[in-house]
Amino acid sequence: MKEINVEIVTPSKSAYSGNAKSVTVPGAAGSFQILFNHAPIISSLDIGVIKIEESDGKLLIFAVSGGTVEVLDNHVLLLVESIETPEEIDIKRAEEAKARAKERLSINYKEKVDVARAEASLNRAINRLKISQKELSK
Amino acid sequence: MVFYALLENYMATLRDIKRRIVGVKNTQQITKAMKMVSAARLRRAQENIINARPYSRKIAEVLSNLLSIEKNLVNPLFEKREVKKVAIVIVTSDRGLCGAFNMNVIREAELTIKSNFAEMNEAGNVLLYCAGKKGVDYFSKRNYKIEGSYPGIFSNLDFSFASKLVADLKEKFINKEVDEVLIVYNAFKSVVQQELKVTKFLPVQTIEQKYEPNSKQIEYIYEPDKATIINSLVPRHLNAQMWTSLLDSYAAELGARMTAMDMATENAKDLIRSLQIKYNKERQAAITTEILEIVSGANALKNA
Repeated sequence: MKEINVEIVTPSKSAYSGNAKSVTVPGAAGSFQILFNHAPIISSLDIGVIKIEESDGKLLIFAVSGGTVEVLDNHVLLLVESIETPEEIDIKRAEEAKARAKERLSINYKEKVDVARAEASLNRAINRLKISQKELSK
Repeated sequence: MVFYALLENYMATLRDIKRRIVGVKNTQQITKAMKMVSAARLRRAQENIINARPYSRKIAEVLSNLLSIEKNLVNPLFEKREVKKVAIVIVTSDRGLCGAFNMNVIREAELTIKSNFAEMNEAGNVLLYCAGKKGVDYFSKRNYKIEGSYPGIFSNLDFSFASKLVADLKEKFINKEVDEVLIVYNAFKSVVQQELKVTKFLPVQTIEQKYEPNSKQIEYIYEPDKATIINSLVPRHLNAQMWTSLLDSYAAELGARMTAMDMATENAKDLIRSLQIKYNKERQAAITTEILEIVSGANALKNA
């Protein structure tokens, strides 16, 4: 069986470690899939979804808010600041964050707004909601 | 009649000593419990440090590799300029009873300010960020400009705190409100030993090659490109650095408290022993007085 070794590390813990058939990551230049014998690559990650197809065929989904991936000798190392499984996503909180970010981006908002930060926050919230809904409809 | 007064006196001191023994024993129980609590927390804190290590190490490694290849990089966080304004992050603890832990950091911070930035401080150009209640308490009462005070962060230490603080510092640095950022903290060396550290946080130090550079020189594909990856790695490297400093300080604090409480428990033990000896002596003296009294009473009767 040709497998790759996958490891996800965050500042507080090792979030995942195991063997997999494939990993799909949200690369900054587009989402891409990593299979056995992938060329060495270092890529930054966007806000999006990581999919891991484990060796027994089980599909794992995680929400990420940016990070870096390094692939070397069939070892995939994902460095991310925050990662959540669909079950871990707090839907209510994500919806609140979405509403808050939208409000901040609306033109009526008087105060000085950090647009980039608000947009990033909106994207994160939308990503979380999308992934949690995907899980529910499964 | 003299004897009665003496006896009363003895009884009074005996009661006093007994009361003191009970008091010291109570204190000893508290210090012992605090030592045990610190030990349990320390174990968890050490685990946190170990868990955080692969992340920060790998980021530093990838970053230093990239920086050694990519020469023409433009990132405002690397910019070195004449230091006119400086921000200092001082990491103390929230609680006391940990020996000289806080005093060491505070003294080091004051020394750094006095020896390097004395004039700037006079002009209000030294901004302090105090993480931990003890530092906030100390510096807010003195002639310092406090830009950020974060008491009570260690009861529930969270990564998002580190990243928020770093975001604030980055903004200040990029807007040229400060030209240098330092962190002063206690690093965890062993349970009984803390190491005071003053590290330069911004501008980003070109990471020394303490991590083995990839000797094979693998030809990586870089997506989207090296500069973009570096620019996305730098903030996360800073976050990780701040985070590990906080974790380090917390573990050091617990270690210091454990040692301090262990010493207090030992001292209480010694104190109880010497009080017990004193009690026994006094008791013996009281008995002797009593016997003396009876004997002399009997003698007086016989002689009458």
